[in-house]
Amino acid sequence: MLANTKNETNIKLPFSFILFSLLCLIGSMALILFQGESIINSQFRIPAIWSAAHLFILGWALMTAMGAMYQLVPVAFLTPIWNERFGFIQFTVTAFGILYFAHSLFHNPAGAMLPGLITLTGILMFLLQMYMTLRQQAKPNVLTLFVGTALISLLSAILLGILMVFSMKTGFISGHYQAVFKSHILLGTAGWFTLLIFGFSYKMVPMFSLSHGYSMKPAKYVFMVYAAGLAAAVISFFTGNNSLLTIALMILSCGFAFFTCHMLQILQKRVKKKLDYSFRFALLAIPAGLTIHLGAFISSLIGSFQNTVGYLVFAYLMLWVALSILGYLFKIVPFLWWTWKYSKEIGKRSVPSLKDMMNDKASIPVLSAFILGILSVTVSIVCEQPALFLSGQIVTAGASIVFCYLIITVLKQ
Amino acid sequence: MNRKEVVLSNLKRVMDPELNINVVDLGLIYDINFPGGGKAVITMTLTTPGCPLHDSIVSGVKYCIEDLELFSDVEVNLVWEPAWTPARMTPEANQLLRG
Repeated sequence: MLANTKNETNIKLPFSFILFSLLCLIGSMALILFQGESIINSQFRIPAIWSAAHLFILGWALMTAMGAMYQLVPVAFLTPIWNERFGFIQFTVTAFGILYFAHSLFHNPAGAMLPGLITLTGILMFLLQMYMTLRQQAKPNVLTLFVGTALISLLSAILLGILMVFSMKTGFISGHYQAVFKSHILLGTAGWFTLLIFGFSYKMVPMFSLSHGYSMKPAKYVFMVYAAGLAAAVISFFTGNNSLLTIALMILSCGFAFFTCHMLQILQKRVKKKLDYSFRFALLAIPAGLTIHLGAFISSLIGSFQNTVGYLVFAYLMLWVALSILGYLFKIVPFLWWTWKYSKEIGKRSVPSLKDMMNDKASIPVLSAFILGILSVTVSIVCEQPALFLSGQIVTAGASIVFCYLIITVLKQ
Repeated sequence: MNRKEVVLSNLKRVMDPELNINVVDLGLIYDINFPGGGKAVITMTLTTPGCPLHDSIVSGVKYCIEDLELFSDVEVNLVWEPAWTPARMTPEANQLLRG
């Protein structure tokens, strides 16, 4: 079978997303730093926290994911991006929308409808771009299922978010506000990010560990179980059935456990025995995510889910989603810059290897500090310790700034 | 050295930047053909079908053969079947990875 070539994306496109996302990461960390008192008192639903959360989730995590997808989708699915020019317009609309949205949430949440719609437009443009790209794929596979369902979850989460803003303003479906809110959080985190990370892990884990000869059959069971858990959880929110929620959380934990086992199977078949440090951190996020899933299930089982859900969502976003993204960015960014600078020089002269582009060992102190900071912040919220929160968040913000600095240094290579 | 050996030797300049091992020792070169008329046809693969570096490596291989100035036309066919396996690596490459 002859392979399709010339799928590379114009490097400026993914880089635009990633560089913008770094600014949002620092901005969100700084905002959280000054909201210690509210967070300690479990007052998560205040304008500054909404602003910080959306800056972090949309501005950093979502924009990073979009940038990475512009790079990874063409190579993972062997099909070029549908329209790169449209991609640059999509970046501009989304970036403007997110900054305007975060600003409105901070100063005037009731006026967040317009910036929310601009952000929605940007995300819809991205979804259209991905739909048009993926439909060109000659032979859809299980990765298409993960990534496609993640994109549908993203669309659902955004529509539910807009519905929440509309409901706040007009009182429309106010009786279902809680169910809409919970579904928005679930589909935005476990639906979008987790399914996306699962999907791309199936490509990146074998690639970075040079694993061969493993079976991909378990992947479809991972998908089926996890997707069933998501559906059951959404139904439980709208029916108000707590027993169904507990069952849904158990199914989600099982799906995550199957994924963890499958990753272990793949890693056992690896040729590269010494894995890069940053990649190990991305892998470390997997047991962290599983532990949080199990924690959610157990807390629901013993009837304390309502009290712990805030901490669990925070830990899930930071130790599963963020740690995965941070670990993989250590690999993706040097690759992007290398492609931009040296791709055409390969074979013509001696070019640096990807390892020469970034100090992989630097990921050890930076990502260890990030984990330590997040754990401190989580404990400080549970134990209501303002001093611990402040020190933990300073460490987290510091690690984020150093991370951004390391990313910028790649551009000097 | 015959033409095939010359080509193989020159292809060792093309390194996989992720693994820092050349494409010959990685066992990525499946076949080298000279169908006549000054043409060289290289059939090769990559370690994984989703390798983000595939355009770079393929163009590097093409350049290296063209650089020999022995052929008027160079064609590089990238194939996924048969799939690459670690068994195709030289013992040296194996040693580097398993370290």
